[in-house]
Amino acid sequence: MIVPASLRRHALPVLIGLLTVLLVAAAFTTPGFFTLGNAQAILTSTIFVGMVAVGMTLIMVSGSFVSLALATTATVSAMIFMALLPWGLLPALLATLLVAAAVGAVQGLVIGGWNANPIIVTIAAAAVMEGLAIALSKGVTINPTGLDYRILNERFFGLPLGVYVLALLVMAVEAAMRLTAFGRMVHLVGDNRNAARAAALPLGTVGIGVFAIAGACSALAGIFMGSFNHSASLLLNRGTLGYDAIAAVLIGGAAIGGGRGTVLRTMLGVIVIAVVTDLVLLRGYTTGTQVLLKGLVMVAFALAVHLRQETRA
Amino acid sequence: MTARSRSATERQRRLRALIPFLVLILVAAIAFSLPLWSGRAMTGFAVFNTFQNAATLGLLALGVGLTVIVGEFDLSSIAIFALGGLLAVRFGETQPLLGVAVAIGAGGLLGALQGGIMAATGISSVPLTLGGFIAIAGLNHIVANEGILAYADYEVGLWLDSPVAGFFSPRSLIVVAVFALVWAAMRYTRLGPEIRATGADRRAARASGVATNGLVTLVFLFAGMCYALGGALFAYSTTAAKYDLGLDPFIFAVTAVLIGGVSVEGGRGTALGILIGVVALSLLDTVFLQLALPTYLVDLARAALLLLVVMIEAPDLARKVSAWRARRASRG
Repeated sequence: MIVPASLRRHALPVLIGLLTVLLVAAAFTTPGFFTLGNAQAILTSTIFVGMVAVGMTLIMVSGSFVSLALATTATVSAMIFMALLPWGLLPALLATLLVAAAVGAVQGLVIGGWNANPIIVTIAAAAVMEGLAIALSKGVTINPTGLDYRILNERFFGLPLGVYVLALLVMAVEAAMRLTAFGRMVHLVGDNRNAARAAALPLGTVGIGVFAIAGACSALAGIFMGSFNHSASLLLNRGTLGYDAIAAVLIGGAAIGGGRGTVLRTMLGVIVIAVVTDLVLLRGYTTGTQVLLKGLVMVAFALAVHLRQETRA
Repeated sequence: MTARSRSATERQRRLRALIPFLVLILVAAIAFSLPLWSGRAMTGFAVFNTFQNAATLGLLALGVGLTVIVGEFDLSSIAIFALGGLLAVRFGETQPLLGVAVAIGAGGLLGALQGGIMAATGISSVPLTLGGFIAIAGLNHIVANEGILAYADYEVGLWLDSPVAGFFSPRSLIVVAVFALVWAAMRYTRLGPEIRATGADRRAARASGVATNGLVTLVFLFAGMCYALGGALFAYSTTAAKYDLGLDPFIFAVTAVLIGGVSVEGGRGTALGILIGVVALSLLDTVFLQLALPTYLVDLARAALLLLVVMIEAPDLARKVSAWRARRASRG
């Protein structure tokens, strides 16, 4: 490490300050930013990224870096949900969540239990899911049966139902991470896997639990994505959902190496990402500029959080 | 370590070194037995195609493999590969070599930048190169102007893909030459042992006098050049460059690297092994092509293969299997 101690200590606060100043300046110079409609739009845009980011936080805290399969899980879940709607809304919803949790659990066993490389496993899992989705759907868009699903697009007090579901999800997972033995085990495994193994903690069970929850959270995002688009296909995965979720977790201050991070702080990251996206769109920048900026923000936060950790260590 | 466990480790090491060759023999057996069970045959053109396919993604796999051997993992590789193609097309319209030079320069610069940051800060390559991947992907959108860049000089592509000695082409020979260069450098200079030592245990390597920071930067610089050269050659060959190539080429590269005997834990692997992995996987693709399987099925098979390989490589699975064997032996 050849970075001066002062830079290591101050990198994160300086970066947060810089980003805040930039965002505030951009907000004040962007016509249409300070409107109720735009605030509602920003909150609405947090639904999908937020739900995926909840699962991503658990994965990062557990020491499994990130999953590159969650955006695909959301997309394939949207397809499953649409295909199962003839069973009725509730059975379709529960079955989709269960399938996604099971797919996540298998990845969790391989990553958490066997210590396989999480990046490679999740990239391969995403490709397998996509392949199976094309095989089963024959590559066509899946349209919903009936209109029951539209309740998921309802608005209450100006905000879509998804925002309230996201808020409940965040509170439930945050409480589980703080108050249950499972939450403590996730932190311990992420902090030091070898020590956790020596303490006979069930690494496989923790991995399965974390990835199953992440799978279910992504499925929930997929269910809302499918309902919002009134159909589902792999084209839903064309955006930057998974990367936005990772960026949000990093901006929220979670340690990429595991052991540190909270779902509540991740939600701050989700809001920052939503505001950046909104500003870029309002200012008429291209997709390329938007993606480039997100990548740079992600690199800067990953570096700053890493340097802060090095200072503490 | 006892003599018994030492010999077991040595046996395991030799077996691992044989894996790429065994996989290649297995895939070749499948390929050349096609007429016996499918009514289709491996023609000379199919073999040529295999080497062309290997040439397309070979340098991507070589770069990724080198970063894995040095104990890191470069997620930005596929974005730099795409950028190489875009820059070659953009700057090589009248002078193809200038396009290649700009591409290689940019790839090397981006690689060195990421490697240098890793060396200076000690940050893990995963978040850094993931952010790098996203940022470079955005840059690719901008360079391509949100579209596909067409390359007007068809002659360059025709020359690059013209048959040489029946099975090869200038493009595949360039790729083989780069592999040979890396193989020789790792075999006959201190680079090979130092890269492996750094990948196996960075702290121990540093204590032994290896300049690990410079080495990581150098490996990422060279890997970036490899990705960009591969992308440039591919763009000239197809007379077009896209800003987004998806993750399939990356899956191919990582699978080839692991099949080629590179340990995902770092510290183990050779350029020859990676080349064999690339050829084996390309041959498998040719088999799929001969069987006229749909693309999604090929991608599915490749991803399933990667999943299988990474599961076999999982360190704690090996530990569990050893413990189970020991329990069984003690009962017996």
